[in-house]
Amino acid sequence: MNFFVNASMQAQKSGIEHAQLKRFELFNANGEASRIVIRDWDPNLHLNTRAAGIPDRQLISMFDYFQDAEQVEDHPIRLDDLDLGVLNTHTQPEPENSRTLIVAATGQLVARVNLLPDMQTVRSTELFDGYNNLYLVEHYDSRGFVSLQQWYTPDNKIGTEIWLTPAGKPVLESFNRDDVRGNRQKSGWRLTDRDRTIWEFDTIEELTKHFLDDLNRDFWSLEKPNVFVLDRSHLAEWGLLYLDQPAYTVMHMHNAQTGNAQDPFDHVLNNNYEFALNALDRYDAVVSATHKQTRDIVRRFKPRAKPFTIPVGVVPNRLLNAERTPVAQRQFGKIVAFARIAHEKHLDDLVRAVAIVHKGFPQVTLDLYGYPDPSDNYAARRAIEEVVKAAHLEDVVTLKGYTNDIDQVENSAMMFGVTSRMEGFNLAVMEAIAHGLIAFSYDVNYGPNEIVEDGVNGNVVPFNDYEAMAAAMLKVLRDPALAQQYSTGAYDSAARYSEQNVWTAWQKLLQDADAQWPVKLAANRYLTQPDEEGVR
Amino acid sequence: MNYFVSENIFTFNSGTEHAQARRVKLFAALSGEAQGVYVTRNYNRFLARDREAVGLTAQQSLNMYDFFQNTQDVPRVEAPLRELKELPLDHYKIDAEGPNSSTLSHAGREIANIAVMPATVGLVNTITYQDRFGSLVARDNYDWRGFKSSVDYFHPTGDLARTVYLNLEGQPVLETVHMNIDGQLRPTMWKLLNYKGKNYRFNYEDQLFLFFLNEVLAAAPGSRLISDRRTLDAAVGQAQGASEKWAYLHDVHEAHGELLPAYAEVLRDHPENFTGVFVATAAQQADLAKKHPAVHAVIAPDTFVEADAEVAGTTAHIPGRIVMIGRLAPEKRPDQALRIFATVKKRVPTATLELRGYASSEEYMQTLKAIVEKEGLGDSVIFSPYATGEELARSYAQAQVILSTSEHEGLGMHLVDALGYGLPIVEYGVTYGGPEVVKQGENGWLVPDGNRKQMTDKLVGLLTDSAEWQKMHDAALNQAAHFTREAAARGWQEALRAAVAVQ
Repeated sequence: MNFFVNASMQAQKSGIEHAQLKRFELFNANGEASRIVIRDWDPNLHLNTRAAGIPDRQLISMFDYFQDAEQVEDHPIRLDDLDLGVLNTHTQPEPENSRTLIVAATGQLVARVNLLPDMQTVRSTELFDGYNNLYLVEHYDSRGFVSLQQWYTPDNKIGTEIWLTPAGKPVLESFNRDDVRGNRQKSGWRLTDRDRTIWEFDTIEELTKHFLDDLNRDFWSLEKPNVFVLDRSHLAEWGLLYLDQPAYTVMHMHNAQTGNAQDPFDHVLNNNYEFALNALDRYDAVVSATHKQTRDIVRRFKPRAKPFTIPVGVVPNRLLNAERTPVAQRQFGKIVAFARIAHEKHLDDLVRAVAIVHKGFPQVTLDLYGYPDPSDNYAARRAIEEVVKAAHLEDVVTLKGYTNDIDQVENSAMMFGVTSRMEGFNLAVMEAIAHGLIAFSYDVNYGPNEIVEDGVNGNVVPFNDYEAMAAAMLKVLRDPALAQQYSTGAYDSAARYSEQNVWTAWQKLLQDADAQWPVKLAANRYLTQPDEEGVR
Repeated sequence: MNYFVSENIFTFNSGTEHAQARRVKLFAALSGEAQGVYVTRNYNRFLARDREAVGLTAQQSLNMYDFFQNTQDVPRVEAPLRELKELPLDHYKIDAEGPNSSTLSHAGREIANIAVMPATVGLVNTITYQDRFGSLVARDNYDWRGFKSSVDYFHPTGDLARTVYLNLEGQPVLETVHMNIDGQLRPTMWKLLNYKGKNYRFNYEDQLFLFFLNEVLAAAPGSRLISDRRTLDAAVGQAQGASEKWAYLHDVHEAHGELLPAYAEVLRDHPENFTGVFVATAAQQADLAKKHPAVHAVIAPDTFVEADAEVAGTTAHIPGRIVMIGRLAPEKRPDQALRIFATVKKRVPTATLELRGYASSEEYMQTLKAIVEKEGLGDSVIFSPYATGEELARSYAQAQVILSTSEHEGLGMHLVDALGYGLPIVEYGVTYGGPEVVKQGENGWLVPDGNRKQMTDKLVGLLTDSAEWQKMHDAALNQAAHFTREAAARGWQEALRAAVAVQ
């Protein structure tokens, strides 16, 4: 089985989730089994995974797994379904707080029930005993069962947390205790597994390793190895090194490996990857999305893990075969960018470039698609707004917010800009060239400076040089033939990310896994049967 | 059904529990009468063992927690700790610390302590898990019958936070929560989970107990309830659906002419909730009639002689042996017994005193031992632990005299039992039971309360005058005839007929 390991699957996805989903679809399309493996507890997980196209049977969440709740029919709990065990209660709705109070005939508070905006569906209950103590908060899974109980202490903190099966059996507990310095922290986990065996773990990392061991055992086969692709390193960068039984482990890069992405030999490593990179010899494979990153990693770390370059983006055949829109039919001078309005995207530089271009071509406009990052009180958005104001571009630059209507936008625009400080791949620029947009990018690691090929589908300009980017855009705007040449080049260059090409790249990895398997099995004494005296 | 309602069957029982257990056995053979069932409120993982120790079957006892856990009648299957499926011994290591406990370690760090079931070899009792800080986090509690019965969770302070009670499938059926009441950590909630499809929250254990009694009565209409413990009178009084409700008064209800607070519920505050009360003696019945005319008191036997004829026939009396049976507690005044014995010993140097019973506290035991030392009694005083069966029978059979210095007794089961072994009795005449058990000067002496001199004289007389001893010994055996099982059965049948008249 192929496991793609992630933390969660939120409604608002980052590039890692998009990459995982594209891979998941690619594997499904090619008849190669896979599972999305989710480590963190999320009572609304199944709403989001189903919306993302992941059927419950191809999803394994660690908590679901231990809670015996992988496939549960939906029966959301309504206010009227609650049974608090107290007679003669009445409700006092508080719509402004999305909750209702449940009060006994004596006026004593029995529970606060937190509801969805429909004021009917129960999200959680805060329960009080007969002496007005908040003693328990119960969290409901969207499918309609108590998933997590948080038991309170007399000083009103969470003491013990217990996860239950849909039938209400406790299976997983975690404890909050004071360390020697008096700091309360998670001090351990206790698991009762399906065989009623009890395990204790110090950290969630140990619990995760145990879970991965369980998966490895459940899907064990002498024919093929289980392949674990780790998409967020912190989840199992340690655990994958210590699996009980052999498997094929893959460290998947989704971002630059150094603090300064432009310097592959920067002594400061990207903290997300520092441990895994230092332990890279103990993985079977390391995947980067670009040839450039693969080359940099190999040069620096010389890992025994086998390097693979596999794009994280896939341009669907639908798009590759779509009718091409000539530049002449596009809105002249329309520049777009698809990116979160965030510091690392550095979009204020793109606005600076557009300010210059706008002087030469008043028709030029810039539309920014993406939700704003609230960090530092929306600093990234404020930086953009300052440049807009200083250059009087209020009618030129528009913050459009998030959109799903990429085809419509990108089939009518002309150019696409990337001025990021660092990148892991940048799916947006790949989609842009697949729509025939002429791409302009800083020479930024990793992704944009490979997806954009200078002089083929646009221009790669020096890092942080928005004047050079403006000059490149002006050159294209002045030369319709060059513009069409780049647009055609963009359409053509998207074939690098075709389903077939990306699948072929994955096949190479899977073939390596298969090729290694007999050796691994032999090394772990799985291939020899003991004789009657127990001698192998 | 006849439900005899009590708190518990203990490992060390007092006369009340023994009386109740004997009554259950008596009712089993009472013609025309429904079975007796010993009902208990307290959670007791050793109940199956303790029930067997007093000779009752699973059908003859009913515990509230077992009822909700659906574990009333589960055969015992020994659970050796090294064979528990709960423990993955290919990952964790067990090291024995001694016969009573072992540790469970992972990579050399102790993650749990396993306590061994008392008086067994390696059967699991509790498994107490600790975290990496060494804090208690959870404790799995096993029943004597070999299944995991409950799990305790703890607050970060180490205090008990919650107990969840399980059915055999490991499903929680009942939980108790400990939180603050006026700043003090106390149990604040008993909650039944999914009982017949519904949850029920209670603020006190006795609210749950009342709910339990009502469920039991609803399933067995026309049943009779007898409350054997004054702490349970309120719940029994409120129970719905019984044909009759009684309180059995095993002890005196007054001290110095004042009603004891424990008896207020049934005698003063809510006698209307009861059909009446059972007492052991006509004297107590008469006192009640005088001061509590609203209470219908009916005489019913508290106990019957259950002497072990085989032990009695094969055990020789030890000359000079005085025995005292019962809990070593201040109200039994064993300190006086020691002082009386000290003067007896001056006159009968071969005299010995056996005190058989558990001490109410270790501190009290030390007090008694200090008296032994101060009086220079040394080896002539024998402290014997609580016992039942043959061991207890031997204490009776090898004695010459039984002594009681108790402040008060309803009847004094140990004295009735002593009749069966032909022991002359020397006791203070303070109890309702005294005149019923002791015929003055025939099978023993009732001495005025506090008259240690007379007590000493009577004991010395019995230990030194063999003709007198023989006379009283024979009279004791004759007196026992009033307390046979058959007599008790007749007594109960009369009492129950009288009960109908009361109604």
